Amino acid sequence: MAGSFGTRALINLDLFTDAYRVTGKAKVGAGGIHAELANPNTKYLDIQEAYISRIHAPGDIIASYKTAAFRKDNINFILLQDRREGIAVGTAHGRSIFTRGRPIPVFITVPSFEIEGEVIHEGKPSVREIIVQSVGNFQSVFDAKASASQRPDVSYSGDLILVHKDRIGVFCLDTHKK
Amino acid sequence: MARIYVIDDDEQLLKMVGLMLERGGHAVTLFSNPVEGLERVKEDKPDLLVLDVMMPNLSGHDVARDIRETDGVENLPILVLTARSQEIDRTTAIQSGADDYMSKPVTSQELMERVDKLLTQKGGHMSPEQGLVITVFGLRGGTGRTTVAVNLAAALRRVSQHEVCLVDLSPSGGQAVMHMRLQTRSSWLDLPEVHEMNWDGLKDRLIIHPSGLRVLSAPVKPQPPDALSGEKTNKMLDLLRRHMAFTVVDAPGVLTPSFIASVTAAEMSIHLLTPEVVAVQTAVKLNRVLVKQGIKVKRKTHILNQVTPEAQLPATAVERGLNNRVAFSIGFDPNQSRAMAQGVPLTLTSAKTALPTITRRMAEAIWQRVAADN
Repeated sequence: MAGSFGTRALINLDLFTDAYRVTGKAKVGAGGIHAELANPNTKYLDIQEAYISRIHAPGDIIASYKTAAFRKDNINFILLQDRREGIAVGTAHGRSIFTRGRPIPVFITVPSFEIEGEVIHEGKPSVREIIVQSVGNFQSVFDAKASASQRPDVSYSGDLILVHKDRIGVFCLDTHKK
Repeated sequence: MARIYVIDDDEQLLKMVGLMLERGGHAVTLFSNPVEGLERVKEDKPDLLVLDVMMPNLSGHDVARDIRETDGVENLPILVLTARSQEIDRTTAIQSGADDYMSKPVTSQELMERVDKLLTQKGGHMSPEQGLVITVFGLRGGTGRTTVAVNLAAALRRVSQHEVCLVDLSPSGGQAVMHMRLQTRSSWLDLPEVHEMNWDGLKDRLIIHPSGLRVLSAPVKPQPPDALSGEKTNKMLDLLRRHMAFTVVDAPGVLTPSFIASVTAAEMSIHLLTPEVVAVQTAVKLNRVLVKQGIKVKRKTHILNQVTPEAQLPATAVERGLNNRVAFSIGFDPNQSRAMAQGVPLTLTSAKTALPTITRRMAEAIWQRVAADN
């Protein structure tokens, strides 16, 4: 978990670029991983104990390093098993705790992957509204599943997927489902 | 007890997994370096390997593949334990040669269940065709009946590495859970009527101790002596016999329907008494009552448990009074009161005092007999 204010904790994550899957740990503070991704002082995200797999053989580890840095704009999405690790302390769903919102099923594509899950949004459910209102460069998708476009049998599921907004190709909403 | 090797580069996790397995009664050897671990596995040929995947220099997949290609250890049961929790990771682990896969974090109970399953499946361990019910009884209070039942069940679990259940039939508020520092979530009082009772319902009411021992607790509040019928006891023991390798029953200290049912149903009975005149007299009277009522007690063994520093009677005098041989004599164990206060049965510790030594020996004798019968 991101922990309380003032402390930094290591969280486990799976990070996906166009060609690689990286499993490792990121050090985050009270702002959660969102704050690290939104940090304007660096274009890189530091990962500790990084284990790297090629995207077409995502179970096999081809290399491992004690520390690694990933260019944030090359990350397609980040998968977390616990949503509390992804959001800032004192917020719900990555937004103010005073914002209630409702879950809206979404379908998003990024290079090599299709992502299904739910976004939490209050107000008019439109893609533009959702993207504008959500915090930072990464869109939170809850109860999410990412499937490889070329190998639909390979999928990754987690409590939270943070999708790089600049890497989104298609963003679909299902506004009929409650 | 199995020899289990654990390879994980995360030393904290390594120690934690080691502790969980040790509490389950296994001899554990830990390696934080996968290269060294692999070499030792090939040399020592342990009974099971618990293996992390994400390790520097050599991944768990590489270790598993190497083991599968090495003569002498190619059939070693391998349990992969990793932080990578996706379905593809499970598939990759199995393809690389692992027998089973668990994603971190794991609970002690989950780990023990998987380890036991693997040891039974691949280790060729002897498994009784049908479970054995062992009833520990004695009408005289203060003979340490629950203490012996708890320690015997824990020792059987350690020796056999099979499913063992302890059943506390006391109607006067159970003590077994206190011996193991467990909390009573449900008890035999919550069991449905005989015609509705099935294994799933019974299994849900068993409490699991970190050692893997299962416990069917007595109700927290005292109950009337007939709160548990003989019919219900029979059905319950029948279900346990079918699903547990051993069921150790701590029989009530009074002649209730459940007492008679548990003594009659058991394949083996332990009549417990202390080396004192009143206890021997009570035991003799009980033996007469059982004969008079036509209750057949199978494979009955008399066991002497000295619960005070001074013994009132020597074992030979007890045997004369009983007109029967005493199979085991448990000497006074000053550690027992502390073990009970701490909620840790002595057989699960490394203590070599009277109680754990004798109960371990009893468990080994029972297990050897079962193994010989199979």
